[in-house]
Amino acid sequence: MKEVETEETPQENYFLLLLTAAVIFASIAAIYLYVPTEKTEGPIQRIMYFHVPCAWLSFFAFFVVFISSILFLWKKDREWDIYAHASAEIGVIFCSLVLITGPIWARPIWGAWWVWDARLTSTLILWLIYVSYLMLRSQTEAGSMRARYAAVLGIVGFLDIPLIHFSVLWWRSFHPLPKVITSEGFGKGLDTAMMMTLLISVAAFTLLYFVLMGQRVRQEKLRDEIDRIKKEKLYSH
Amino acid sequence: MRQYLNQIKAIVLKDLVTELKTKELFSSMFIFALLVIVIFIFSVDLSIVKANEVGPGILWVAFLFAGTMGLNRSFMLEKENGCLEGLILTPADRTAIYFGKLISNLIFLLVMELFILPLFMIFFNIDLISFLGPLLVVIFMGTLGFCAIGTLLSSLSSNLKTREIMLPILLYPLIVPVVIAVVRMTGQILGGESLGSMMNWVGLTLAFDIIFIGVSILTIDHILEE
Amino acid sequence: MGNLGFLFAANAFVWAGVIYYLFTLKKRNLSLERDLQMLKEVIEKDSK
Repeated sequence: MKEVETEETPQENYFLLLLTAAVIFASIAAIYLYVPTEKTEGPIQRIMYFHVPCAWLSFFAFFVVFISSILFLWKKDREWDIYAHASAEIGVIFCSLVLITGPIWARPIWGAWWVWDARLTSTLILWLIYVSYLMLRSQTEAGSMRARYAAVLGIVGFLDIPLIHFSVLWWRSFHPLPKVITSEGFGKGLDTAMMMTLLISVAAFTLLYFVLMGQRVRQEKLRDEIDRIKKEKLYSH
Repeated sequence: MRQYLNQIKAIVLKDLVTELKTKELFSSMFIFALLVIVIFIFSVDLSIVKANEVGPGILWVAFLFAGTMGLNRSFMLEKENGCLEGLILTPADRTAIYFGKLISNLIFLLVMELFILPLFMIFFNIDLISFLGPLLVVIFMGTLGFCAIGTLLSSLSSNLKTREIMLPILLYPLIVPVVIAVVRMTGQILGGESLGSMMNWVGLTLAFDIIFIGVSILTIDHILEE
Repeated sequence: MGNLGFLFAANAFVWAGVIYYLFTLKKRNLSLERDLQMLKEVIEKDSK
């Protein structure tokens, strides 16, 4: 049996933690102090600076699930299964935050908490897919079967996203159009200060993703370690 | 190649023969679909709403709910009798098992749908006969997509403890694109439009069918692994 | 502008969500570490 190193005192990556905290504070300062208020929507428009990064982050997390799932089925390495699981969980958390902050913005602007707009609908479906993914994981016992099934669902779910996107888009749409990447080029739809704030905010959330990932992955490895010791103890007696 | 097709044929025939003997699955799917339609008729007031507007949605909800029952059944039966282990032990390719199951599920669902259509026509007072050609094309495409991903997921969920609950939970969010597409297409066809005027929906449904049959071929090995 | 409250509400939700998640992570981590420690002690006692 291969000897697995156990870290007596878990090594935290303090540099990453500090950097993340610093960028998060910078983004909060930028959102509240630096960025000019939008003329028509008023201060509420500032929700965009964490709504959009949350959306970006959940999508990025689901993409990581997809890649890890493929790599797991290919290499059959538990490491990739852990990454997929951790990333799906973080993705669902941030997808929930998108679904919460969206209606808070929509209420004063559209006059309704929820409308069946294309982007809202597809985010909701996305959320449902990955919640069902996590349910599948929690309903099966740890082991190769769970990892394989989850990986298949992780791949199927991600490949479904473009289809969902187009189907709901043709169904109906009145969400504000994306302003960062428009047909005129990168960042043309936004004022420079707004663009900067959004970029800082996206950076903050992306760093946060890696911090959370690190924590979650370490946790799963600890659990594996405990299971391994339990098993060995059982066999030795 | 010939041998591969024979393997698929054997699995389909096995399912059909079992079903013909008991007629258990077909009768329950048919009655369930009928019940869904009846319940929906009570929940929407047909004297206010136009039958043409709500009809397609209700029809497809009935098809999909009843179809889920069929899908749940398809691998569970194998599992209960220990037949799945037998199938996996045979030299048959795993993808042949998938295609066999896909085709038998497709046949069951299509037959059920063909029986439901005339009843739907009578209950909702909609004339289907003049649109039968394009309608059948749409029904076939939609059911194929539903079965493609449904067969994959039912092979997966049959090994779970809570399989009857998990299959719909896993399946329904994933089939959203196909549901939107077929309901829209059915509505437009009943409104007198031709298939040519809704090529985007046709393309979307075909893309769904192809993508998920492809993914299933690539991943079924990992699910039917013992 | 009267919609400042909505902005604060949204912001509060986001950070409450993140902090809550961090908190549960920490809690689970601690209990796992405790389990591990306990197991190690048991094993040590047994091997003596």
